[in-house]
Amino acid sequence: MLPFGMYPKGLQSIIDLFEKLSDEEKRETLISYADQASKWGPRVGENFDLEDVRKDEECTDTVGVFLRVLPDDQAVFRITLGPQVQTLTRAMASILCRGFQGAPITQILDVPADFVPRIVGSDLIRVRSQTVYYVLTRMKSICKVFSDRRRAVMARAQ
Amino acid sequence: MSTTEYAHPEALVSAEWVSEHLNDPDVRIIESNEDVLLYDTGHIPGAVHVDWRRDLNDQIQRDYLDPKAFARLASRIGITPETTIVFYGDKSNWWATYALWVFTLFGHEDLRILNGGRDKWIAEKRTLTREVPKIAPTQYPVPPKRDDKTIRAFAEEALAHSNAKKPLIDVRSPGEYKGEITHMPEYPQEGVLRGGHIPSAVSVPWKTAVQEDGTFKPGAELRKIYQENLGFNPEDETIVYCRIGERSSHTWFVLTKLLGFEKVRNYDGSWTEWGNKVRAPIERST
Repeated sequence: MLPFGMYPKGLQSIIDLFEKLSDEEKRETLISYADQASKWGPRVGENFDLEDVRKDEECTDTVGVFLRVLPDDQAVFRITLGPQVQTLTRAMASILCRGFQGAPITQILDVPADFVPRIVGSDLIRVRSQTVYYVLTRMKSICKVFSDRRRAVMARAQ
Repeated sequence: MSTTEYAHPEALVSAEWVSEHLNDPDVRIIESNEDVLLYDTGHIPGAVHVDWRRDLNDQIQRDYLDPKAFARLASRIGITPETTIVFYGDKSNWWATYALWVFTLFGHEDLRILNGGRDKWIAEKRTLTREVPKIAPTQYPVPPKRDDKTIRAFAEEALAHSNAKKPLIDVRSPGEYKGEITHMPEYPQEGVLRGGHIPSAVSVPWKTAVQEDGTFKPGAELRKIYQENLGFNPEDETIVYCRIGERSSHTWFVLTKLLGFEKVRNYDGSWTEWGNKVRAPIERST
């Protein structure tokens, strides 16, 4: 469980960085993160504990979330984004993949969504760009499925 | 009017035309998107960004900017009343036609759309740049008024239109029209309490007017759809609506500029107003 207001270390340092930036610098940094989104796709030969590729009604294109959980419970995420996915959503996917590196899945499950406007800035959060929250929801949901399954396996074993 | 041509062919330009006018001082290219950061990722060289919410809407109440604010915007993007403006954007030009419609409210005359929008420009492998052009500001005169009567409709007028059974076109998706969903497919809910459509409205989704590549269908085909098949008449007073007025701006452009309809108004309050309005009559269909 995360203490109130705490985020995984990697994400916290990204939030700290964005909070120091001007609106213009924020835009540039978001673009830079969006440009890097494709680097967070699955690599050749990688195996995952869970894969969740789908196109939901609230997102304009297919989003794939891939999760591998290391022995010390640390999550490794990979993400694929269809070409129509909005720039802000691409940026957030890249930020979260980086920010969640090394974080245990139990910690990710407790991450509140209130950091999003701190990174993106209130000007860019609009009704039509609410899908910026979508990737976080998908990442937490795959962690939840993994966690539930693991709990079920452990319960059966006892 | 020829049966194959558009009523106002000058309102539509090709990517090739835009390429040839990139350095034309009498032409300003404007990108308007739904994706708020898309312009920053790359745009047509020399194009300026006009953001529908930040630049075209009033920041407090739900309305458009006033004439003084329009003059400030126009001056900032370096245009004069004589400038030819070419709009383009994502989503098959939804926001480009919306911006064109807003500029029309202020009487700017030479307004055009890049046929096929941003996707077509990219599909033709034309250059994009991240360099934001340095624009010398102009002194655009404050328009005498924002014309809210000729091309814009309000809820009361849409209701009167509905009661009188005058042509009323719902350009949303079939599911939204039927009341099965209260948001666009693939979009988050935008805060509408009720689903359905304005009584007597006919469902003609905006997409009816475009081809696979986002360009508009040829004039003859559009005439066949809207006039012969659906029975809309260029002389009739027609109102179009969607959810917040952008998809209906697209159909407004088709009807007025491509088909030459003379009395089309866009009810920009659209379903996000109607679907929340107390006692607004709603029809649902299966």
